[in-house]
Amino acid sequence: MDTNKYWKGLDELHKEASYMELRNKEFAEEIPVEEIIADTLTKKTSGRRDFLKLMGFSVTAATVAASCKIPVKQAIPYAIKPEEIVPGLANYYASTFADGTDYCSVLVKVRDGRPIKIEGNSNSAITKGGTSARAQASVLALYDSRRQRKPTKGTGEIEWSQADNEIIEKLKSIKASNGQIRILSGTLLSPSTRQVINNFILEYPTTKHVVYEPISYSAIADANEKSFGKRVIPGYNFDKANVIVGFACDFLGTWVSPVEHTKQYVTNRKLHKDKQTMSRHYHVESRLSLTGSNADVRIPLKPSDVKRTLVALYNKIASSTGGSSAGTVTIPSKAEAAVSAMANDLLASKGTSLVVCGLNDLSCQILTNAINNLLGNYGSTIDLTNHSLVGQANDKAVNDLIGELNNGSVAAVIIYNANPAYSLPNGTAFGEALKKAGLSITINDRADETGSLTQYSLPDNHYLESWNDAEPKAGSYSLVQPTIAPLFSTRQGQDSLLIWSGKTTSYDAVIRDYWKNNIFTKQNKFSSFEDFWENSVRYGVCDTTTSSPSPTTFNGDVVTAANVIANIKSSEIELVLYESVGIGNGKYANSPWLQEMPDPITKATWDNYICLPVQYAMDNKIADGDLVSIKSGNTELTLPALRQPGLANGTFAVALGYGRTLAGRAGNGVGKNAYVFVGFDGQNFSYDGAAVTLSIAGGVHALAMTQTHHSIEGRPIVRETTLSEYKRNNAASNEDRVKEPEYAENSLYPGHEYSPLKWSMSVDLNSCIGCGACGVACTAENNVPVVGKDEVLRAHEMHWMRIDRYYSFTNPNSSLLADRVTKEKEYDHHYGSAFVTDYENVNVAFQPLMCQHCNNAPCENVCPVAATNQSTEGYNQMAYNRCVGTRYCANNCPFKVRRFNWLDYTTADSFPYNTATETLRVGMLDNITRMVLNPDVTVRSRGVMEKCSFCVQRIQDVKLQAKKENRTVGGDEVKTACQTACPSDAIVFGNIKDPNSTVSKLATNERTYHALAELDIAPAVSYMVKVRNIEEIQSKA
Amino acid sequence: MANNYIIGLFKDEEVLINAVKNIRAEGIKIYDVLTPFPVHGLDNAMGLKESRLHITGFVYGFAGTAIALGFMSWVFTSDWPMIYGGKPYFTFPAFIPIVFEFTVLLSGIGMTLTFLLRSGLYPGRIREKLDDRITDDTFCIVFNKDNKLNAEQEIKINSILKESGAFEIKEKNLKRHY
Amino acid sequence: MKAESIIRAPLIEGTKDYHKITEDICRPIEAKPSRSWLISITLSAILMCWGFFALGWTVWYGIGVWGLNKTVGWGWDITNFVWWIGIGHAGTLISAILLLFRQKWRTAVNRAAEAMTIFAVICAGLFPIFHMGRVWLMFFTLPYPNSRGPLWVNFNSPLLWDVFAISTYFTISLLFWYTGLIPDVASVRDRAKSKIAKVAYNIMSFGWTGSAKHWQRHESLSLVLAGLSTPLVLSVHTIVSFDFATSVVPGWHTTIFPPYFVAGAIFSGFAMVLTLMIITRKVLNLKEYITIGHIESMNKIIVLTGSIVGCAYLTELFTAWYSQSIYEQYAFMNRAMGPYWWSYWGMMTCNVISPQLFWFPKLRRNVAFTFFMTIVINIGMWFERFVIIVTSIHRDYIPSSWALYSPTWVEISIYAGTIGLFFTAFLLFAKTLPVIAMAEVKAILKTSGEAQKSAYAASHAHADIQSHGHGAYQPTKP
Repeated sequence: MDTNKYWKGLDELHKEASYMELRNKEFAEEIPVEEIIADTLTKKTSGRRDFLKLMGFSVTAATVAASCKIPVKQAIPYAIKPEEIVPGLANYYASTFADGTDYCSVLVKVRDGRPIKIEGNSNSAITKGGTSARAQASVLALYDSRRQRKPTKGTGEIEWSQADNEIIEKLKSIKASNGQIRILSGTLLSPSTRQVINNFILEYPTTKHVVYEPISYSAIADANEKSFGKRVIPGYNFDKANVIVGFACDFLGTWVSPVEHTKQYVTNRKLHKDKQTMSRHYHVESRLSLTGSNADVRIPLKPSDVKRTLVALYNKIASSTGGSSAGTVTIPSKAEAAVSAMANDLLASKGTSLVVCGLNDLSCQILTNAINNLLGNYGSTIDLTNHSLVGQANDKAVNDLIGELNNGSVAAVIIYNANPAYSLPNGTAFGEALKKAGLSITINDRADETGSLTQYSLPDNHYLESWNDAEPKAGSYSLVQPTIAPLFSTRQGQDSLLIWSGKTTSYDAVIRDYWKNNIFTKQNKFSSFEDFWENSVRYGVCDTTTSSPSPTTFNGDVVTAANVIANIKSSEIELVLYESVGIGNGKYANSPWLQEMPDPITKATWDNYICLPVQYAMDNKIADGDLVSIKSGNTELTLPALRQPGLANGTFAVALGYGRTLAGRAGNGVGKNAYVFVGFDGQNFSYDGAAVTLSIAGGVHALAMTQTHHSIEGRPIVRETTLSEYKRNNAASNEDRVKEPEYAENSLYPGHEYSPLKWSMSVDLNSCIGCGACGVACTAENNVPVVGKDEVLRAHEMHWMRIDRYYSFTNPNSSLLADRVTKEKEYDHHYGSAFVTDYENVNVAFQPLMCQHCNNAPCENVCPVAATNQSTEGYNQMAYNRCVGTRYCANNCPFKVRRFNWLDYTTADSFPYNTATETLRVGMLDNITRMVLNPDVTVRSRGVMEKCSFCVQRIQDVKLQAKKENRTVGGDEVKTACQTACPSDAIVFGNIKDPNSTVSKLATNERTYHALAELDIAPAVSYMVKVRNIEEIQSKA
Repeated sequence: MANNYIIGLFKDEEVLINAVKNIRAEGIKIYDVLTPFPVHGLDNAMGLKESRLHITGFVYGFAGTAIALGFMSWVFTSDWPMIYGGKPYFTFPAFIPIVFEFTVLLSGIGMTLTFLLRSGLYPGRIREKLDDRITDDTFCIVFNKDNKLNAEQEIKINSILKESGAFEIKEKNLKRHY
Repeated sequence: MKAESIIRAPLIEGTKDYHKITEDICRPIEAKPSRSWLISITLSAILMCWGFFALGWTVWYGIGVWGLNKTVGWGWDITNFVWWIGIGHAGTLISAILLLFRQKWRTAVNRAAEAMTIFAVICAGLFPIFHMGRVWLMFFTLPYPNSRGPLWVNFNSPLLWDVFAISTYFTISLLFWYTGLIPDVASVRDRAKSKIAKVAYNIMSFGWTGSAKHWQRHESLSLVLAGLSTPLVLSVHTIVSFDFATSVVPGWHTTIFPPYFVAGAIFSGFAMVLTLMIITRKVLNLKEYITIGHIESMNKIIVLTGSIVGCAYLTELFTAWYSQSIYEQYAFMNRAMGPYWWSYWGMMTCNVISPQLFWFPKLRRNVAFTFFMTIVINIGMWFERFVIIVTSIHRDYIPSSWALYSPTWVEISIYAGTIGLFFTAFLLFAKTLPVIAMAEVKAILKTSGEAQKSAYAASHAHADIQSHGHGAYQPTKP
């Protein structure tokens, strides 16, 4: 977003408070909107919509009664207008979404004083402008009406001052009596916050700080400590890796730093004339993860076998590098074959390969380190110097703390930005233990499962209301700046800690000092700190990483590790607990956007479920949605079943983060809490491999899936080929593209000429990883309504942008891995000489699908009222207020991308008491939540058809900008919401008539094709063939 | 002006037609013939001119065609040109259905109104009846007395009616035209 | 007068004269409402009201209360629309086309058939109106001059063609029906006893006298209206078929649709006419006017149109295979073997196989069997529309969007409601207006009356048919 204003005006630096206050008032002199609305419309406080209603009414009234002399009330502009505020124009402020293991450097779109959209910050060396679904949805959390609005003591609200006095008093007495104080926090990326905590510890020396993550990478840190004497999580460079081997590691979806990894991953997988090589990605895993679904070769194994395979791989590589075997293990034959293939490729690209393991298991991590060490990947693809600082959790310390709490040796516990009572395997027990502490405080955004148990629950600011900083990787810093004044009577946790430790300085001052003393000194670009600070705030990031990381010597105990693994008993059915791409560890459970975002793989919404191997389900006659119970020890959980192709036989998988009870209206009671199955191996929490038994509970709990047919039926809508094929012929499996011009020539009509502007989009199926960030970004940008589970169940979801996910199976009868079985009727059928029943080995293809903006759009012909037609810039446009809702356009849309407002999802229609119950229930229509709506996009009423508009509001914005500057619009200047959100740069948008625009260059690429072009609908969206890097493997294996 | 009629009632259309022929042969002007159903050949016997209603039908229809085609072309080419499905602005084939429907509509409505107008038929028109049976099973020849019928003509009428099988002959004096 | 071959079976049975005809046909109107009539109209009215409640529910809460979804945008609504329109067509066809062909036997059924047309079109019209998401804005579909600058409608849209086609069709049918009704209403008027009846029928009769000139114009009008209605009725269902034929949906995008739909319309229409006539002749005791001969002639048309429809089905299958378009091919495979296979095979059995039984004279002259068949056929034709609409769109181009559809109580109630509306209207009509075109029956009495035929035969045993039978037949004395 280089054309955007990030930050302006020194007054922001000096008089923050006053300035912030002023900026967030739309009018310096208050207009009595509140009272008027309070009297007239609702008894609630006023939101934007109410204000607009009032405006609308008064304008109408004025017009109607123009004849009779009624004094019209004038709106009064700013008395002193903040320099950069122009009503109706959006400003972008650099900030950082840093929360536990999520890190994303962002730009916040602020419109009339309200943050309404998150964009990626392209200045960040880490996320490089990419975002995640969670980052996109974080803006909604700001307006979450369930946020705690005042500090509470027990059940009653109290004032901050009172709370402070009481707490300080207690702390002092504890200090006097030398009682133990514990701070239990989530990962703290902010160095300044760590400083604040250190200050607190100086004030109260008996304090210990324990970092806790519900889904922890503690084992990696421990392993590195043992291997290299450095308790860190390394930085990974997937872009430098030509061969990637993942072991149960969802590094594109959830693991450590997915956005960063995705950016790196795709850079080495993009293909064009000059770069016809791409990395090869092997993936050994039990469940079908987002990462696994993108792998070239995927070896589904149950967790115990995954671990053994790691040993086997080590032995293989050790033997060929002159090392010694770490002890023999027996693994399935298909794993044997895969291991040798992997080993060959890995050895072939020593130093440019990468092996990652996502198991939170010390031995596995040590072995992984050992393998990478043998391959000489440290210093090239793995970076221990510029190591990552996400996942700082120390499971052992957490476990010890629980022990301390239980034996009552802790006098005070401060829980900051963590929810152990929910996310610990024995959360209830923890809750009980908590009561034994003399003083218990939670600092969190809501009174959640933990906050409701502590004596004090102190509401924290949302990051969009706060000053803060972050250090996602050693040496890379970024800043958080407030974009709105706190909505409620909340206070940043750091400020509280400062006050309690007797400091008078405010937290933002602490940040400045920290940057002055620690970061300013590291750089030499700026001589004056003021310039440095201003620049950092403006661009949000500051990179001081040193280039060449020092090589390290490995001294981990491989043999013991191997023995531990060799002694693991594999059980008939092993359970895998995973983090869902949307909800994460459960913190985002109350985000309707994320709840309604379909899971990238299962396409299910609003639920967690037990994934069963298809074969197992068939043998036991279990259908999707049948309630089944899994039992491990004496823990039992009943959930609906979901048949998951690609899931390793003998494995069940359940998502964590569901079953919240105090998350809020959207999140409460959605799914069940699977943390109860998390184990502790004495060192780390373990999420994989628990032995479980299944029993059919009876009854059905329907699962709301946005896609119910999973095969492409051999249709050339998604096209894929293999790397070697592609090298032989760049248009491999895309031969039809030469026919595309003919369709236009043979058309009955001459067609229209769109010039000089013709908007067009290109989607590279080889880059898209299917993460779904685009979908949430689209929802945020275009005010797409949330409909709730019941409606999704009836296929009433409203997403303008969806990602289709297709499974295909390898043809057992073919020598080519590329030869696929895609027709559903051919599954379980005699196919050539063999049967396709190998539901484990499934291939996945993703296809983002939004309105294709056909230039010969079938939808346009059939609308009786001309509500949809073709713009002169070559895209299909909707006039919502003209639509009468015949739905003919949707029927006639070959891509089925049009969405109809079946019920009143927005209260925008003229009938009272008919609002869609679910939308209302999940809180999307609360006045406060509605503040997130984008004022540039109409809110559609019931009975109206809607669809992707190519973000027409952005097109218009850029055109106006260009007009003001008296220049033509740049070919790549307009960027759609899905495009900017995409962490893999799969989506390119621009003016195809501009020969210099990226999209016009891509149009000539041999991989480019238009879906269903044979209908002569001339879509404006084109796709690029997916390429799998596989062929030679088979010859080797 | 008074409306005085001589009416002859018949029970059979063939007898009626003969009566009409005989009367006209005598050069007596028949004012009107009322029948319960359309009697074929009666109009010839009475020497009625052929109806020109169908001609008006054509005129209305043609107007419909012109209006529909003209209007749609104007809207799509000059008043509000818009791109639908990549088609040209003047999408003639797409106009045909509406042009046809509108033609039929105008022709139909126009003709019916003309018919009612010319025949003086409209909802709730009050008419004094010459005889209730006319709409049931009785055929009736009407002579208008005020129509310069002299005495011997009246006598003649009576006699011819009798001869040609009228089962009843009477005089009717109505306040208004029936 | 033109005589008719004696060999032809009489169209009016028993010994009738003009007065008797009037008596017979006016009896139901003048008699007290029978118990059966009262019961049936109560039931229909209740059904109708329930339907209107469901409509209200839909308008208030939105189309979301129906079973439709992102993939299946039309379900029972448009299925019922096409079904009702198809039924309506028979009326126009009987009165218009048969009139042009000078088919005398139509006189017995045309009045009721036309009435049926009008009521069916009313029922049909409800669906395209209330399937709109924002029905209160339905006037947007009319090209009216407005304050929003040059804002008109999209004349390319088959739905807009429908607006014109259906409204024209309704208007013309109404005119045709009512102008034909005027003389008969006059007959009722002149027989009316009660004050109210006198006034009411007088208003409705437009002051008809039966003047020769009026009859002349009336005949000319009927003839031209018939001439207009004939292409109109064909065009209307052609345009309805365009709703599908002009789309890109596999299974809809079919050039055979216009003839196929028209044939289907006649097929179902005649079935519905028969259903009604068989009830009417029983309830109102008009067996002598609606004879087995009538029923048989209509059954002949049913077997013809049924076979045409059957050919259309097979042609579609062939075309799908011959096109070599994977989407077309899948669409038709899916019809026969997909989740909605039952509707496809239901359609095949009811529409193609069962009507073939009418090749047997015994069966097509059997009233009970005919009645049963007419019901079967109307079920079959409903299935046909369901098959075309739902099974085509529920699995079209993009497999990820494939979905299933099943109606909710609201849709079912609305459909039931229209049936209630239809019968309520028809029963009221049968009680208040002559269900048989009196004047027209009288006009053919001489040529097609049983008694007259025999008398004529007796007196002309030797004579040549063409000799004018003047005086040969004595007028029956009152």
